[in-house]
Amino acid sequence: MSRRDYAQDRESIKTFLTEYCKCDDDGKKEFVYGSQLVKLAHREQVLITIDLDHLADFNESLAEAVTENCRRYASIFSDVIAELLPSYKQHEVHAKDALDVYIEHRLMMDARTRNPLEQRDERNAFPPELMKRFEVGFKPQSTEKASSIREVKAQHIGKLVTVRGIVTRCTEVKPMMVVATYTCDRCGSETYQPINSLSFNPVSECPSDDCRVNKAGGRLYLQTRGSKFVKFQELKMQEHSDQVPVGHIPRTMTVLCRGEVTRMAQPGDHVLVSGIFLPMVRTGFAQMMQGLLSETFVQANRIICINKNDDITDKEAELTPAELEELAQDDFYERLATSLAPEIYGHLDVKKALLLLLVGGVDKRPDGMKIRGNINICLMGDPGVAKSQLLGYISRLALRSQYTTGRGSSGVGLTAAVMKDPLTGEMILEGGALVLADQGVCCIDEFDKMADNDRTAIHEVMEQQTISIAKAGIMTTLNARVSILAAANPAFGRYNPRRTVEQNIQLPAALLSRFDLLWLIQDKPDRDNDLRLAKHITYVHSHSKQPPSRVKSLDMNLMRRYINLCKRKNPTIPDELTDYIVGAYVELRREARNQKDMTFTSARNLLGILRLSTALARLRLSDRVEKDDVAEALRLLEMSKDSLNQIHEHQKGHVPNTSDRIFAIVRELAGSGKAVKVADIMDRCTTKGFKPDQVDKCIDDYEELNVWQINMGRTKITFI
Amino acid sequence: MMSLPKTPEELVSMDTASWQLLLQDPNQWQNIPLLNHTPLHKLKDQTLVRFRGMVQDMMDQEIYLERYGVKSADGIMRLQQGKYRDCLNLDKDEQVDYDNVVHGERRTLFVVSVPGLNDWAKQHEHKCNVQEDEPMVSNSHGVKRVLQEESSEEQMEVDSHKRQCLESPQQLELAKSNATTLAASYLLNSPLPERPSMACMVKVYENFDNFSLNSLLDFVGFLSVHPALDAALLEADTAENLTELAAQHPSPLLIPRLHAFGVQPLPHANPLLDRSLQQPSVPATLPAMASLHKDLRMLLKLCLFDDELAADYLICHLISTVYSRSELQSIGKCALNLCNLPKSRVEGYARQLSELLALLLPASHYLPMSLDTLNTAAFAPKKDYETSKLVSGLLQLAPHTHLILDETCLQQGKLEASGVQAVQHLANLINHQQLKCDFQYYHIDYNVDIPVLIFSEGRSMLPSDFVLPLNADSKAIEIHAESMQAAQHYLQPERLQQLRSYLTLARTASYNVSDALTEQIQQDFVQMRQANAKSNADDLHGLLVLSRLLGIARGQVELDKNTWDMAMKFEAQRRQRLQALPKSQVSN
Repeated sequence: MSRRDYAQDRESIKTFLTEYCKCDDDGKKEFVYGSQLVKLAHREQVLITIDLDHLADFNESLAEAVTENCRRYASIFSDVIAELLPSYKQHEVHAKDALDVYIEHRLMMDARTRNPLEQRDERNAFPPELMKRFEVGFKPQSTEKASSIREVKAQHIGKLVTVRGIVTRCTEVKPMMVVATYTCDRCGSETYQPINSLSFNPVSECPSDDCRVNKAGGRLYLQTRGSKFVKFQELKMQEHSDQVPVGHIPRTMTVLCRGEVTRMAQPGDHVLVSGIFLPMVRTGFAQMMQGLLSETFVQANRIICINKNDDITDKEAELTPAELEELAQDDFYERLATSLAPEIYGHLDVKKALLLLLVGGVDKRPDGMKIRGNINICLMGDPGVAKSQLLGYISRLALRSQYTTGRGSSGVGLTAAVMKDPLTGEMILEGGALVLADQGVCCIDEFDKMADNDRTAIHEVMEQQTISIAKAGIMTTLNARVSILAAANPAFGRYNPRRTVEQNIQLPAALLSRFDLLWLIQDKPDRDNDLRLAKHITYVHSHSKQPPSRVKSLDMNLMRRYINLCKRKNPTIPDELTDYIVGAYVELRREARNQKDMTFTSARNLLGILRLSTALARLRLSDRVEKDDVAEALRLLEMSKDSLNQIHEHQKGHVPNTSDRIFAIVRELAGSGKAVKVADIMDRCTTKGFKPDQVDKCIDDYEELNVWQINMGRTKITFI
Repeated sequence: MMSLPKTPEELVSMDTASWQLLLQDPNQWQNIPLLNHTPLHKLKDQTLVRFRGMVQDMMDQEIYLERYGVKSADGIMRLQQGKYRDCLNLDKDEQVDYDNVVHGERRTLFVVSVPGLNDWAKQHEHKCNVQEDEPMVSNSHGVKRVLQEESSEEQMEVDSHKRQCLESPQQLELAKSNATTLAASYLLNSPLPERPSMACMVKVYENFDNFSLNSLLDFVGFLSVHPALDAALLEADTAENLTELAAQHPSPLLIPRLHAFGVQPLPHANPLLDRSLQQPSVPATLPAMASLHKDLRMLLKLCLFDDELAADYLICHLISTVYSRSELQSIGKCALNLCNLPKSRVEGYARQLSELLALLLPASHYLPMSLDTLNTAAFAPKKDYETSKLVSGLLQLAPHTHLILDETCLQQGKLEASGVQAVQHLANLINHQQLKCDFQYYHIDYNVDIPVLIFSEGRSMLPSDFVLPLNADSKAIEIHAESMQAAQHYLQPERLQQLRSYLTLARTASYNVSDALTEQIQQDFVQMRQANAKSNADDLHGLLVLSRLLGIARGQVELDKNTWDMAMKFEAQRRQRLQALPKSQVSN
């Protein structure tokens, strides 16, 4: 790159600062920097941030040059601003602090005594650093991506970089000397020493003419009042876990903050830091290492806490168009679901439900009442049906999660007891920590083994989304906005379909009703499934890799980011759907009364349906809940009930085929009337988990049997 | 014949391709002194050395001067190389010309010698090391003794160096007061504190992404032990965070630096089978795998109270390795729980057996799981932000380091929060072969490959892939002491070498499953499911792993019907024994 003409750049910066303007909504011109300069001149503002987007608008190559050689341009900018400021002063400014008064006095004295022809020693002149009472910062161009710490390399030295990470340590804010002012004990003249590095060597010999000529040997004394200090803080930041390649240690970076950028972050904050990447010149140690090694740091220009400010989305976390396209295929709902724990075969509906749990419904706060959006799911099933694997997978996929087993945790203490079973000599662990991940997923394995008093704590968590702690005389309520994913084994070893759910799991109904979905996972020997499973496993063992599958499962990281994206949506339920939902709910209640159902239906189910449908809308990245979402939510609810009831049917020995079941529904729908609309049938049947082609088949089957007739347009059937 | 460069200057002046070619020749490696086994005072600064070990921590990148101009007092300029060295090459009156520098990037790896490396392996490595102008250390001394001598010599060295580089006693005082309180053990950061490893800071210059935590590597490079590298000798009040500086720049005499240009990954820690080591004697050809297997099986049977099934499972465990990983599973792991130990009749059996296994395995560690250990010991590594070090834990072990847990030491009592975490770490290690490192603000899982063997009275409270209740013969229990002695006696040096090589070879062997048999296996599984609905995918995984290991142990390269049937039979027998165990009232 050819050397830039700094003098010319200086001029263009001057024009930029004075003339750059944006049109606001009313078409009025707004001088972005001009107005700030006025504030700076009146000492009402300290930090002026130059948006490189603006600068690129004005002069693209200049913006590039600033990114490339940031430190140099920062000083040019501040020189230009210092030059411009006096002309922006509109009224007299009152002195704000001692340094202002000090400078004012010196300037006045200088004007009075100074002989304009006399050349002064440079060190006795007022250094510009002392006079500047503002700071210049740069906001990187919006196209600039935040890099991870490991991407910042030697070639970035001197450039403006933006890095993302987590703050691990920060020092106290301390004053740092920028200009040291000394007074001579002999001649009384003042000497200034601008300081650019972290340490400095104080001047002791007076350089003034009087002392030098007279060889008076005047000693200099540091004067705190006349010296200029800025706030200074040193941060350490570290890469976030998702930026670390497998098998590597997270990198750290030192960030130096001065002036207004101090006190922006605390340990634990996720931050975006833009600043200049520079080698650190440390005296003393650097010499010990004989100068070969230089530490590096980022001189921060701008620090943004990501967790506090959700609007500033981080570029890296966003999905690329290619990824979005991959996701936007028709069957993305199925694909996302199958990509959950791809090692586990089948159980598609369970996986769909788990996907919705990860996405979560929308929290509502109508008139102070709080309705949770988090979805709770309980998986039940015989031992060894991959419940734990599913839980393990979810806890790894979720950004914040806690995996715990009921047997090893308690809500109260943080300690556990080791007990010996006197009969078998087995060592057993009792009690332990139940740490809840706020805003996350809490996976509890062996939920049924949890002590009763611990489960009561879960009650509160599940509905109120808070946890109360009473310990050592302190009562406090903490937020615990978690989704609970529980897995439970049947009480009698195997699930007994003749009993109710409560009896089988031995959990109180009050607790069970708090789960939006209860799912019984069964693992019945099934020739085809077993063979498929065996094929899969033998393949893995003999080829040491996963078999190529037709549907490529999605990468965990991509899923995580997509789910995150979904969570930002807050879909609403439009009014016209209300009737549909209410109708469906009434139907559910009625059915529960009529049939000898082993599950139960309560008002909580209605909320559950709402939660599931909003989660589905979120999954589509939509702001509105559609009818299909509600239908799918109803279908999942129905399937989950089915999973509990179906063994029941098998036990009876009578297995009605699909058409028979659909027929029964139609009959019910018709009631005393003779004609039924096909659209109604479709609606009802899809909520019960039947597919449209199954319904069509049923209609055709029964028409052949002369049970009913269908009109030409296939819109209405009439019983004969 | 060409040989590897002797100094950094020589290396930089050499053609890159030519030294890379030289590095591919194991004979070239053989003649380089091993830093692991050579006392530091015998090595000069800037000489060519080798270091073998495990990557324990990775530090931040360093920006250094790759090339720089030097201005002498009379204004003459020369260019100097800064690669592969820590200190500037300057004469007294010369100065670095900062306008004329090229910055380079390098990375420091904190490498420790293989944690839990057993004594025999250490001794063998030591014997392989070229010893210049010094008679071979007699074997009877043992490595421990040598190490002690070394450390005391090192101590003296430190003092003398200090005196050399400090001009006035006043400065010495200053340095002393300034020397931070970080203990040597903290700086060395050995995963197993009671079996300290040697540490070395290896600086690498290329392929930064190829190094992963906990992997075993062999480095060749230039030693750098210049005393100026010690941060403890720093003048006062230069830096704010002195502890961090001291931790990042420990005394080079405690932790030498090595500027590496050659790296090779070690597939195993067994020095007997390493071609890049100069074997002291030409190794005899190994007998067939099958016959070695028979010998080993007999030996283990003798030590396992005449339980043949247990001997077979134990061999499988000893040669197991994770051979495939997916997001949810680590396939090939074979965590074995030997329960039903006759604890009341045989004292300290687990320890005796682990000592025997230590004779056979290159690296292993016996961990008595007492409440105290669980509550106080550091299990998983944890980041210390005060010093920017990853403080190691017991479980940070190199691949194929066997962890032997003795649950018979466990007493009833209270497990503190750290103890609960320790149990969780162990369970995570066994189930997923992953180690959770604590970075305070988040955790990161690192893949490991640590076979875990658990001895317990009843079924262990930790998970495992195979739980096998011992079927101890009562007669064998009586003559147990004699059996152990006989076993020791049986293990003559030559046979020991054979068995050691056998175990490593079996572990690294490749294995096939034919398509025809795959069909058979699939059918068997479907039948198994129909016969017993409780059997599931895990059982099939177990069977496949077991049949593979049984086959490899017998020297086969492909799974055959016999071995598959044998695995089925063994699993059936194991299940039977499990059912015969008394049922617990508390758990099910």
